[in-house]
Order: sequence, then structure tokens, then C-alpha cells
Amino acid sequence: MKNIVNKLKKSDFADKITLILAMLLLLVLFGSLNRNYVTFANIINILIACSLTGFVAIGETNLIIAGQNDLSAGSVAACAGVLAALLSRAGMPMPVALLAAVAAGCVVGAVNASLVTFLKLQPFIATLATMSVVRGLAYILCDGKAVGISDKTFIRMGTYRLFGVLPIPVLVLLITFIVFGILLSKTYFGRSIYVLGGNTYAARLAGLNPTRIVFKLHIMESGLAAFAGVLLAARMNSGQPQACDGLEFDAITAAVLGGTAFTGGVGTIFGTFLGMLVLQSFKTGLNMVGVPTFWQQVAQGCLLVVALSFDFYRKHTRDKHALAESMAARNAAAPKAKG
Amino acid sequence: MLHSVEFRHISKFFPGVKALDDISFLAESGQVYAFLGENGAGKSTLLKILNGDYQPDAGEYLINGQAIHFSTPKEAIAHGVSVIYQERQVLLDMTVAENIFLGDWPKKMGGMVDAELMRRRAAEIAARFGLDISPDTKVGTLSIAHQQMVEIMKAVNRNSNIIAFDEPTASLSDSEIDILFQIIRQLKEEGKVIFYVSHRMNEIAQVAQKVIIFKDGQLVDVVDQATTSEDEMIRLMVGRSLGDIFNELPRSASRGEPLVEVKDLTTPYVSGISFTAYRGEVLGFAGLVGAGRTEVMRALFGLDPVYGGTITVEGKAVQPRSPAQAQALGFAMVPEDRKMQGILPNISVRGNITISMLKSLLNKWGFLMESKEEEIAQREIRELNIKTPNSDKLISQLSGGNQQKVILARWLETHPKLLILDEPTKGIDVGAKAEFYRIIAECARRGMAVIVISSELPEVIGLSDRILVMREGRISGEVMRSGFSEETILKYAMTDISK
Repeated sequence: MKNIVNKLKKSDFADKITLILAMLLLLVLFGSLNRNYVTFANIINILIACSLTGFVAIGETNLIIAGQNDLSAGSVAACAGVLAALLSRAGMPMPVALLAAVAAGCVVGAVNASLVTFLKLQPFIATLATMSVVRGLAYILCDGKAVGISDKTFIRMGTYRLFGVLPIPVLVLLITFIVFGILLSKTYFGRSIYVLGGNTYAARLAGLNPTRIVFKLHIMESGLAAFAGVLLAARMNSGQPQACDGLEFDAITAAVLGGTAFTGGVGTIFGTFLGMLVLQSFKTGLNMVGVPTFWQQVAQGCLLVVALSFDFYRKHTRDKHALAESMAARNAAAPKAKG
Repeated sequence: MLHSVEFRHISKFFPGVKALDDISFLAESGQVYAFLGENGAGKSTLLKILNGDYQPDAGEYLINGQAIHFSTPKEAIAHGVSVIYQERQVLLDMTVAENIFLGDWPKKMGGMVDAELMRRRAAEIAARFGLDISPDTKVGTLSIAHQQMVEIMKAVNRNSNIIAFDEPTASLSDSEIDILFQIIRQLKEEGKVIFYVSHRMNEIAQVAQKVIIFKDGQLVDVVDQATTSEDEMIRLMVGRSLGDIFNELPRSASRGEPLVEVKDLTTPYVSGISFTAYRGEVLGFAGLVGAGRTEVMRALFGLDPVYGGTITVEGKAVQPRSPAQAQALGFAMVPEDRKMQGILPNISVRGNITISMLKSLLNKWGFLMESKEEEIAQREIRELNIKTPNSDKLISQLSGGNQQKVILARWLETHPKLLILDEPTKGIDVGAKAEFYRIIAECARRGMAVIVISSELPEVIGLSDRILVMREGRISGEVMRSGFSEETILKYAMTDISK
């Protein structure tokens, strides 16, 4: 156990100190501006708001580490919400509607992966196309009108609170974060994601199967997006075709805030978790202290730039240390080479 | 006009390290000075002081007898110092003329770029060096060699009188190297001071007059290229000669059982390839670049389609269709292009070592056993003498030789029966080469079948027990160790025997 704690200290926590400080700063700042900000109810509210972005951010993190990305997540979430609502209205029980919608999401993921691996399209371009197609399908499915949900079980999935406090979406989100955190850092599959992000061809020569990994990642991401979309529909009592617009960008923002590098190979699920918290706390905070919506958008962009500047500065000083370290090691090892 | 560069007692320290220790020499117009030394000997630090990237901690730097101090590379450029790097710094989507004037485009009245002047100057420079490069060509459409020429044109256009080349031939073909050398000679004739950094002894012999030899941050000697033998230079920089190194290799007395038999193998690139690799034997593949040696190995490793022929491993017919399947058969391949095909750049040294055997490091729950992984990494770092502060270091931050050792370690950890090494010491300094030779010989002695592709004849001769020579996609000859000579191998490798 102590070992685990030490490891966390060494890697993630130390690395994420900026984000943790930012989080505390936000709590102090908004807490002093609005006394309702640092309350249990509000923190739960922030977590509920996170649940939509969070699922997608997990998938995006995986993809970005592997050198991929996905712009279609918002469309998939909306379409899945509409589909689940339609199925529910047609009399299907909640689990069937949920699974069918997630399965449909997975199909979109498989399509994305096919475009990327077989047609060799850039992930950005491939998913830009599916983003449009799937959004269109969402509108077509329901003829452009929101689909109301009356099934009580379905609605409870979005609104029921465990022990009266912990909403189901938040619980599931936390579990998903833990599962993917372990998957990424402790398993063979996780390692192969990092490997893929650097150099696909070298990964293949090292004995990996890049095509299969890319398929799995896109299917996971779209499945997660669909699941988030269904949860949102449950919370809203309806599937709405215009929902989740720009969801993928919030998710990517959370991942990047959390230290995921767009060049691939770098990032952690824990980082994304913090990134998501910072992003949502910031948004909720701005709302609660009455910053106008348009200015909120400006502020969100600035947050990203400021956070990344900090990161850049820290990396810069770290690289300097690393250089000195490696020169020292080389000198220490040099006498051996002579013999 | 004559130019000179002088370093007087230059030293450069990094925390805990003396990167350069009291370096003094004078370089003058009309000579090409080669920098020779192992990685970490101080060559690149010196280049960085030359071009103003680093500032010396002690000593004087003089150009044309005047002490100078550069605080940025830009100031060095203004004083006529240009360094041409291995990685080309050209913009592929811009024209030749635009690249030559990069960052300093001439302006007409009103601030518009003077495209006509740029084009004229570019054409002049191209004509002066007899280069067939049009000013309006997009640089991205040029061959790599010509892109490098554009860099040189850029240096000439800045009126640089001191030009340093940092491993310029790493990605050039033989004929392209000839063009480069012609240009370097012309620059020399024009009175420039030329520095040339390379690991390739034969290039230094062709182009340099003086060789400045570094070892561990110190200047060992400045010798005349013409009167100093290659072996002597290697001895100065490493402490021993290549001949000794090859003679001391551990060799098995006799080869073992046949391991891999290839019969009439035909792919899109090679045809009628038949040979047997034996346990305990180093089998060399010689031949010119493009003769099909790499392609034979690609077929064995499941990378190229096989049209005909058979591959058997220990008597069983096999058909590897992917590197993963080849690995399962006990094959391992250290590829030729370390950067594109070997290293996983974003991953730690540890991750790079263990990736191909990682599946055997899973516990019953499917989780990686990290302490075991670290043990393996530490063992390889120790055994192959990989110079890295720790196993967490990103592999891309190591020197080329150490990266190559990591790739080799990766494959040794899969406990291969057949180890294929494609140009294993390309671009690696002589000291690390010697280590590689020992490791390769040791692998064979321990019972692996080892195949080494090498374009360097002394290397393939010194290392192999038997050599197959390829020419134009076919095996053109087989030579046993007793019959090794450069002439015999060249005779089989060249179409034109008269050479």
C-alpha cells in the first residue's frame, strides 16, 4: 500500500501539482465571491455537469495518446439519446434501449476506425465527416423534434441518488474513471496505446497490431459518448437531436488541461479527471458569480492558454535538469566504455 | 580573402560535467577540418559554441584574429558562421529562392518582398556550384540531397565564411554524397573555413585535410588526413584499433544445427533466394545498397508478401504474415532505420526494452508486473552498457548508439532463435560499434543464428563466419571465412567485374 502511495507521489500527483493548485485557487476564488459555491450540493452539481464531458474525455484521452482523436462524439451522444428515447417510447425496457443505443454508438466508432485505418484518412477529417452524418441522422430519426421519455426506470437512471446523495451518473462516471485509469496504466492494452502514439510503424515491427488497437479505441470512445448521451436524455426526460453540441471540444479541453499531448504518447486518465474538474468548476463558478455567457467562452479559452503556459514553463525547467542529468550519467559511464 | 577560426583554452561545463576541457586549435582558409570522436566526446558542444548556441565558460573564441562573443546563433550568422545540420531546416512548401532568403527576405519600396531579386540571386548561386536547381521549385519536391544543397546555398547567400557540416551524409545516397563533396571542395577553394563532423571514416578520408580528434571532452590530437592511417585515427579516439577488436571477438569453434532454411524465396523485390542460417553462426549479407538484402529479411519478418518458395524453421514449414507471427517463430529483427522503424519515441527506455515481451509480464489478473519490468530493464541497461541516467528516460533523449542498444535489448528479451540485424552500426560512433560487435558475437556463441546486413565491408568481413553476397535481388555468391577479402566480395556485389 505504501508502495502505491509512493508511486502516486512520484508520478501523477507531483506531475499534476499545477492542476491541483488551480483547483484549490478556483475553490477559494469563487467561494469568496459566492458563499454557495463551496457547498456539498454545489459540488454534486459540478460532478453531475461533469458526467457528460467526463465519459467522452476518457475516450478522447485514450485516442489522443494513441495519436488519434474524435470530433463525432457530440453527435454520437445526441443521436444515442434520441435513439434510446425512441426505443423507450416504443415500449422497450430501459436496459434494452440503453444497450441498443450504446451498440449503435460502437458501430459509429467502428466506422471511424475503418476510415482511419483502411482509407488512411486523418482522424480529424474522418470524424469531421461522421460528426456531420451522425448529427444529421439524429435529426432524421426524430424529425427534428425532442423525444419525450415516460419510462420511470429510464428517468431514474439519470436522476436517482444513491443514499439520497450520490447521483447514478456521477457514480458510474467515477467507476469508469477508475477502470480506465487502471486499464491505461497497468495493462498490456494500456501500454500499447502509449506505444502507438509515437510511431505506428515501429510499433508494428515491435510485434503490435496497430489496426486492432485503433478499432478498439474508436469503438470505446463512441460507446462512451453514446452512454453519456443516454444518461443526459434520462436526466432531461427527453432525447434531443441538438444536444451536446461541441461536447467533443470540452472533452478534448479537459484532456489537454490534464496534460495529454496532441503529439501522442503522453497523458493520463488521472490528469484528465483533474482537467475535467478544473474545467467544470471554472464554468460553474463563472455562472454563479454572474459572468455573461459570451464572456464565459472567452474565459474558457484563456484558462486553457494559462494552464498550458504553466505546463510549458515547468517542462522547460525539467528538461534543463534532464540534460544535466544525462550528461552526468554519460560521464560517469564513460570510463567503463574504455575498458 | 583568408579567414580563420581560433579556439584558445575553451572549456564548457554542465552541472557535474566537463563537456569541453581546454580545447585549443586554429583553423584556416583552404582546409577542411574533420571532427572525429565518439558520441559525447564534445564535437556537438563545440559546434554549438561555434554557432553561438552555447557560450564557453572559459577560453577565447577568435574569428580572423578578433576575439568575439556570440550570445545567440543569429549573431553568429551575422558574423558569417553557418552550421548545416543533419536534419534539414528547410520549409518544404516554399520555393528554393524563398528558402535561401528565409527570414531575411529582401523588401522593395513599400514593404513588398522583392521576388525578382531573390530569384536572380538563387539562380546565380546555383550556377556558381553547377547545381541544376531552379529558384521556383518547391523545396518539398526536391530530393533530400538537393534539399541539403539548398541549405548550403542559404549559407553561401549569407556570405558565410565559416561553414560547419554536422553529419550531412546521414540520409544521402552515394552519388548524392559525391555532389556534396564537390561543393565542399569548391567552398574550400573559395577560401571558406570548413568543419566536417562525421562518424564515417571513408568520408573523412575523401573530403578532409586535417582531422581533429576528440575524446571525453578533450582534444587528443590534430592529424594530417593524408599521412595518418584510419586505424591510427580510431586508436586515437577509442584507444584501440578495429583489427584488434575483431580479432578479440568470442567465436564458436564450429557452427551448430541448421535453424532456418529458405528455399527459392520470391517476393516482389527478390527472387530465387535460398540459404540456410545455422545456430551459433554469424551470417553476413553483403552487397550494394538496393541489392535486396533488407527485402529478404522483410519477407522473413512477415512484412512483404511471399510469392513463392518455402521457409522452414527447425524442419517445419512456416509462413510469417506479420512481425507478431515472426516473433512467435523466434525471429527478431533490429531494423535499418532506427528512427522510423526502431524506437518508440514517446516511451521510456524501460518501455522500449520490454514492449515485445510485455505479454509475459502479466500476472493472473492481466496487470503488468512493474517491478519485474524494471528488473529486466535494469539488467539490460547493465549488460549492454546502455548510457542512461535511469530507465524512466525517454528513449528519444539518448544518443543514437544507446538507442540502438535499447532496440537490441528489446529483441534479446524475446529470447530469439534467429537474430537479424540490418545495418546495426549505421551512424554509430566507433566506440559503441566495438561494443556492438562483442554483443553480436556473444549472441552467436550462445547459440543464436545471427544474420548481419552491412554495407561496410570491413565490418561484415570482421564480424561474419560466412558471407552471402547479393546483387539485383538475387544471391550472387557465398564466401566462407577462410576466403574473405574485400575483392572477392566486391566482385560478387558489382555487375561490372572490371572495377
